[in-house]
Amino acid sequence: MQFESLQNLWRRAIGPFKEFGAMAGALYAADQVLRRLSPQVGIYVYELMVQPIGGKKLLSANLAKNLTFAEIGRSDPAIDLMPARPEIKRARFDQGAICLGVFRREKLIGYAWFCFNTYEEDEVRCTYALAVPDQSVFDFDFYILPEHRMGIGFLAVWHGANEYLRARDVRYTFSRLTRFNVASRRAHAHLGWKCVGKALFFQAYRVELMLATLAPFIFLSWSGKSRPRLRLWPDKLRAQDVGQAGDMR
Amino acid sequence: MNDETELLTKYIRTETGYAGDINPDEDLLKVGILDSFSIVSLAMFAQEQFGVEFEGEEMVRENLSKLSALVALIRQKQSSAGK
Repeated sequence: MQFESLQNLWRRAIGPFKEFGAMAGALYAADQVLRRLSPQVGIYVYELMVQPIGGKKLLSANLAKNLTFAEIGRSDPAIDLMPARPEIKRARFDQGAICLGVFRREKLIGYAWFCFNTYEEDEVRCTYALAVPDQSVFDFDFYILPEHRMGIGFLAVWHGANEYLRARDVRYTFSRLTRFNVASRRAHAHLGWKCVGKALFFQAYRVELMLATLAPFIFLSWSGKSRPRLRLWPDKLRAQDVGQAGDMR
Repeated sequence: MNDETELLTKYIRTETGYAGDINPDEDLLKVGILDSFSIVSLAMFAQEQFGVEFEGEEMVRENLSKLSALVALIRQKQSSAGK
């Protein structure tokens, strides 16, 4: 019995290292320990990704035929189906974000939020600024209602988002992924994302320390008035575009 | 193994790089060989290969996560289309 408990403890201890690798596993373990000490202390590890808005349709015409895509406004009843807290949703609209809903036979199956120019991170103090704003958006809170998750839901929402963004000449969408969200990383991998930067935030009560691979690299903030600004460039995908064009010649 | 299962298995191996055994009655989502994106990609591949068209409502776990279930759906579509 005691041996089994030790085995379980061992499995739990090495699990994050096996799943995330040595460095991210250590950060995950440290975060778990810190959060037990105080819920106001923790570590956030983000990867900043860019994804192409391609010309290829993600769903075949027959699968897309009953799908519709529409912006959801702040007073739309569909807003109440979203699990985020009301004040969070209000703050998103206040910063100019757009919520795109995807519906099948007029029933909401999922949605995604987009910001143009900048996105104010809501977990930590940080502003993401799009370096090529006329061709880029920042997407966040990509959500599929539970009953549609193991079917067409994920692709349907991305299909709708691609159509919507392509019609507005957007070529790149940026997002912030939590390093420990393995499912989200796998899902985005299908859509051709590239990592454009990494950021780590150590949060202790009102103090936040950011370490990032993008300028300003290190930033210490102790109030909502000071927040780092990370500029996001789509260069990795642009290099790929140039390479592909070269291959076709 | 029937022709449909063989072709779908080959597609899964190419797309995922998975080299182990694939049991047609195994839930491929549960064992982690496929995910919610790749099961729909697999269904779209099946549409092209076998000349069938699925409805959005048929794109559910029960029909897609096991090769035997997907093959049954393909055959049902083919027989209703008189193929």
